[in-house]
Amino acid sequence: TAANQHDADVDDNEFAEFEEFDDEEETTTVKSHQEPKERKVDTKTEDVVSKDEIEEEDDDGVVESEDDEFEHLQDEEEFEGFDKERGSSPKSKGSEKLPDLEIAKVPLHLRTNWDSFYVEMLMIAGLGVYFLNFLAGKTKNSKLAQAWLGAHKELLDSNFSIVGDDGTQKEATSGTLMKESENVYALWCSGRAHVEGMLVELKLLKRQDLINVMLRMFKPASDQIVITVDMDKSSMDRFVFAVAQKKAALRLHKDMNDLSQFAEKKNVDRYEIPSSYQILSEIGEANQTLLDKKVCQVLTKYEGLIEYIHFSDQYSGVKSQEETQSKLPETKAVLLFCFNVPDKGKTRPSDMEFVKPLLQFVFYCIDKVSRLQLGKEARGKADKNRQKAEEVFLKSIHSQRQEAAQSRREEKRRAEKDRLMNEEDPEKARKLEDKEAKRELKRKIPKVKMMKVG
Amino acid sequence: MSNEAKNNVNDPRRPNKIIRYKAPAQGTPSDDPTPDYMNLLGMIFSMCGLMMKLKWCAWVAVYCSFISFANSRTSEDTKQMLSSFMLSISAVVMSYLQNPQPMQPPW
Repeated sequence: TAANQHDADVDDNEFAEFEEFDDEEETTTVKSHQEPKERKVDTKTEDVVSKDEIEEEDDDGVVESEDDEFEHLQDEEEFEGFDKERGSSPKSKGSEKLPDLEIAKVPLHLRTNWDSFYVEMLMIAGLGVYFLNFLAGKTKNSKLAQAWLGAHKELLDSNFSIVGDDGTQKEATSGTLMKESENVYALWCSGRAHVEGMLVELKLLKRQDLINVMLRMFKPASDQIVITVDMDKSSMDRFVFAVAQKKAALRLHKDMNDLSQFAEKKNVDRYEIPSSYQILSEIGEANQTLLDKKVCQVLTKYEGLIEYIHFSDQYSGVKSQEETQSKLPETKAVLLFCFNVPDKGKTRPSDMEFVKPLLQFVFYCIDKVSRLQLGKEARGKADKNRQKAEEVFLKSIHSQRQEAAQSRREEKRRAEKDRLMNEEDPEKARKLEDKEAKRELKRKIPKVKMMKVG
Repeated sequence: MSNEAKNNVNDPRRPNKIIRYKAPAQGTPSDDPTPDYMNLLGMIFSMCGLMMKLKWCAWVAVYCSFISFANSRTSEDTKQMLSSFMLSISAVVMSYLQNPQPMQPPW
């Protein structure tokens, strides 16, 4: 390309023309389509002939109709060696002499045939499959939830005065299964002895998400029913107790606030429950009374179904990640049950009937815990544990508060020094220094005096 | 059996002790994080699909916003879902308007 500025202009100029020429050429070929066939042949050959002359034509910028636009091509003095009849002959009939230059009609895009867009087809097909699976999974989940409600409604009605309140209307409603997401449904029941309320969460599998469906092919999982029973403060004694599958026990012991603070591992063979369970408990006496014959029977019969059972009067949820807990986490008395629905994901609505006895087991446990009375020393031990936990907590709060105060003091002192440093006139600086020195002195002296008096 | 008839001694129901349902706080660690992650990922992909005219980014953005729609909680507001859909679809349309060549997959 041209080196200096001048040539560069020329290049640009030509380039610009070339672009114009392109549009020109496209429009003419488009225009020529409408005219009759043989006329098209003439314009094509004329295009070939007039391709380079047309450039000067555009420079004049003279507006001409299409026919006389080619008139200047015919006069001799314009062109050397231009013989009249050869130029005009193509107008009348197709001439054999001319090589039949066939210009390939270049379409707007380079390739418009659709099968080159195969990747896009794939993408759209993937979206379609995902959507179909979404619909299928959504309906399957809602059918399962309704099946569970249908199977357990009668039992719930006989135990609670309202079943299925969602807390929105003024008056407590009944019979609404709340849909938290496509795979989580919740049911709140209230109005029973010893119990403030019971929240049943149906944590079904994410059947509506294709990726989760494929993931579960490798790592099978099952639907879960998590029942949280908020007990009355008065009707539950002070103890922390949990029976869980080994894996779940490890996770719970690490994550749960109350379990990690109060409960320790206890071996299982003292009680007649399968060894796949693990006991975490604070007070031995509570284990004895809770793991009675009936409970052990249920645990052995539904071994695969019961994920964990967690009774605690100091329940405050999962340990919060952030270190600085501003206040003591509020605790409440809670019974937690987590059941797996059988068949590892290939659940059918009829399986919900199979799980019904577990809800009777929940009510049995509620009554049992409310009747449980710990012995004096057991209760003493529980209170001691709670005090210890509180002290540990307050100490950690105290040390945090001290650190915060410490950093604030340093901050103030540094700000003071900065002001001192960038103070311009010496006289004010000296006054500041004196004040600083006096304050320093004052802080030192009182300590000494107090020592003497004490 | 009507409610009154069954009101003998072992009827556990206490109509006077009804406590209303209070939805748990939003930030509970229990709710799963996938819709939020997918939403964020969808935004990022559609941005880079628009900026760098990468078609496969735009398509991945459409998938991400669809997945976050599938896993979204009903309590979540639909505006955010709609905006992520609009963004990813516009990324696809824009990247095809600029150069209509079919997409070269990144491999």
